[in-house]
Amino acid sequence: MQDKIYLHSRSRLHDYEPIVGISCLEDLKVLAEKLAGKIIQTINSTFVGGGVAEILEHMVPLLNQLGVDARWDVISGTEEFFEVTKKFHNALHGKRERISPGDFALFSEVTERNLEEMKFYGDYLFIHDPQPVGLIAKKREIGNRWVWRCHIDVSKPDKKVWKFLNDFIVDYDAVVFSSPNFAQKLPVRQFLVTPSIDPLSDKNKELDSATIDSVLAKYGLTSDKPMIVQISRFDRLKDPLGVIEAFEMVSKNIDCQLVLAGGTADDDPESEEVLKEVRRRAEGNHDIHVLLVPPGSDIEINALQRAATIVMQKSLKEGFGLTISEALWKAKPVVASAVGGIPLQIKNKLTGLLCYTVEGAAYDLKQLLSNPEYANWLGQNGREHVKQNFLITNHLKDYLLVFLSLDQHSDVVYL
Amino acid sequence: MLDWLTTSWLWLTENWLYIVIPLLVFLATYVVGLWVRRIVYRAFNRWAERGKWEGSQLVIQSTRTPFIYWFMILGAFIAIQVSKLDPASKVLADKILASLFVFSLTWVAVSLSIKILRLYIGKVPRLQPSEPLIVNVVRIIIAVMGALILLDVWGVPTTPIILVMAAVILVAALAFRDLIANLFSGFQLAQGEQIKAGDFIKLESGESGYVTDVNWRSTQVRGLDGNLVMIPNSRLLQSTVVNYGRPLKKATKPFRFYTHLNLKELTGLQATNLTELAKLLKEVPDPVIYYHTHSFLEEHQYLTPEPANDFALWVSDELGDEVLGEKLANIDTFDFPSIGALRARIEGVIGDYLLKKPDERTAREGREFHFVRSTSFILATPYIAHDLREFVEVLRQVSLNSLSYHIFEARLRLKKGVNDFSIWIEDCLEDKDLADKLAYLDPYNYTLDGLRSTIIQLIEKRIK
Repeated sequence: MQDKIYLHSRSRLHDYEPIVGISCLEDLKVLAEKLAGKIIQTINSTFVGGGVAEILEHMVPLLNQLGVDARWDVISGTEEFFEVTKKFHNALHGKRERISPGDFALFSEVTERNLEEMKFYGDYLFIHDPQPVGLIAKKREIGNRWVWRCHIDVSKPDKKVWKFLNDFIVDYDAVVFSSPNFAQKLPVRQFLVTPSIDPLSDKNKELDSATIDSVLAKYGLTSDKPMIVQISRFDRLKDPLGVIEAFEMVSKNIDCQLVLAGGTADDDPESEEVLKEVRRRAEGNHDIHVLLVPPGSDIEINALQRAATIVMQKSLKEGFGLTISEALWKAKPVVASAVGGIPLQIKNKLTGLLCYTVEGAAYDLKQLLSNPEYANWLGQNGREHVKQNFLITNHLKDYLLVFLSLDQHSDVVYL
Repeated sequence: MLDWLTTSWLWLTENWLYIVIPLLVFLATYVVGLWVRRIVYRAFNRWAERGKWEGSQLVIQSTRTPFIYWFMILGAFIAIQVSKLDPASKVLADKILASLFVFSLTWVAVSLSIKILRLYIGKVPRLQPSEPLIVNVVRIIIAVMGALILLDVWGVPTTPIILVMAAVILVAALAFRDLIANLFSGFQLAQGEQIKAGDFIKLESGESGYVTDVNWRSTQVRGLDGNLVMIPNSRLLQSTVVNYGRPLKKATKPFRFYTHLNLKELTGLQATNLTELAKLLKEVPDPVIYYHTHSFLEEHQYLTPEPANDFALWVSDELGDEVLGEKLANIDTFDFPSIGALRARIEGVIGDYLLKKPDERTAREGREFHFVRSTSFILATPYIAHDLREFVEVLRQVSLNSLSYHIFEARLRLKKGVNDFSIWIEDCLEDKDLADKLAYLDPYNYTLDGLRSTIIQLIEKRIK
């Protein structure tokens, strides 16, 4: 089992007031008061790397500041286990994976071990993603309220994997998805909670131009030509090769540069291989920069997004796509695929541009590079949209409402 | 003993004039004093009767008795000067008399100034709570001045004392500069009578409410959330303050502002074409219809003043049927008193269209119409309005969620048929005209911020 990490949020709740307004914080306090005395035990697979850990890292301390006793634990697993869960992840995204009975057996074996080793003390157990989903077996013993939070695009899941997971999911009190597309026919309540970004985190806070310039210099980038940036870990589902293809179509006529920056996560053994493929594909083109950014380089990611002329997210599958929220928050025009939760963030031609193909992506890039005023208008709308719907304060509100709603079945609840 | 008496008698018989003359001088001065007092106070009384200064009687009462004492001290002084006392005794006697005079004069000055102060403080109610403070300050100042003169009379050097006192006063002034600033500001406020209890004020910092008390140090305001706020007077004078004056007509019942927070719940139901959409529209519960006719408005408050419902957007954007999209977008939610009626209209439009045109278009994979419902959690805010002035100021401050709750949710989802504001204004303020204006305002034609401004303008116009 991974060691516990000491959580400390650099942001205090009142620091958000200038951004979201005092009434938003007052609402959160009222909701938190309703959960006084209850423990929310959050469980996922890793403390570091990936969007889930990133959200929890900011959210748990803020819940604590609101007076909610939220705690964070992770399951333990071997490298083989995480290879299996990566296959599950891909299969749930709809990718064909060869999953053997042995894989299922390994999953069950690790789940059993975690059931024995872990302490379950929460009044509400908040389980994230498929890796710890089997912990629900403990519900028969300890009862309490269990919520499964699915961050993955399960709109067209592999039936075999979904059936395997479904046997666990049906025992939960509620399931939380990031997009309406992911809704399933389930005998339990399904809530829609979109993920969020923290506007005060290193990844999203304002940066001065000196910091941005120093990051550009570090990676050998120049700001003298338009920069198209895709930030995502090296994963086939993020289609980095498709991004390069679209860029090549655009750069024939418009002088610009492409930055593909990302890292790897503990639970994604495949990303090294994808990185090599991308580097091979970009070889020889000096306008394409493939940057392996180590975990924790949030300021650098922030600087790259802020330096970008256009941000891309040409995913083939996407849970939600937090990098889009990050880019929109920085008022950047975004070109992104209409998959997963992306259409929730991008209303085509209002808060960004949606595409379906490499050709569509290239066309959108040309439109924005040629019309900076239009690009700026989209970026400003995007920032407002994120402010209203995808900031961490909104996310906190939704989670608190999910816990409160577990005992409520009316459409109108007076708190 | 007998010898001493004999010696004294002999001395008196030889020097009787040395005693009698000073005594006569003292008595004569006393008589002159009585005479002068009579003339002076008669003239003073006449002047007081002619003049309208209320303090004149106080001056007369406070000085009439001491006046004769001062003549007695003068008599004693002259008597000592004409006496045969040795020079050293004369100097000592002079100092004693001077001390008596200074003491009595100080006493009279304290007594008189306090009486005059009380006379004036009594006329200004807001100063009355501060009376003990003012009286004590004046008493101390006069007493200190008297003490300094006394010390001077007895030859004690006063310059170092004055310097020390000046230093102490300076340090105290620095240490209590805020307090002093507030006191002076309070004095200015009291003098100018710019802000009085009962006025509704608004500071440039946004704080507003009814003034409940103004004293020397601070002004107490009952904020819009019902909390009492103490604003230091110096801050009040330094900032721009809008004083709206006296309260407006008070409502028979105050208006409590609520807000709502929505949690979206997925139904698992989805439509890929118009036929499925029409079928599911009949089956889904009311909160689903409410969500899909209001979600764009709530999630894109900044974007467009006329948000279409989700059905219209999906039909035009995803099915590519602009004609039906327009027909659905043209359904004005404001025209319907209930969700049931609104649902029937949407069903009717799609049904009529399907009768004339076959359902040929199917949504792309991943772009199906997903039916979502929302649960509304209603929370009381701390804001309460007792009249239209408070109401309009609260309206500037509450969240847009609060506005949408009272305007949209109350009317349709809570089945009140009209927005909460109109109900309160008509029932509790008996202002039917204004209530109707708000009731007939189509809120779907505005962004929420625009709607807030429009309502505020309507109310401001009424209360001007």
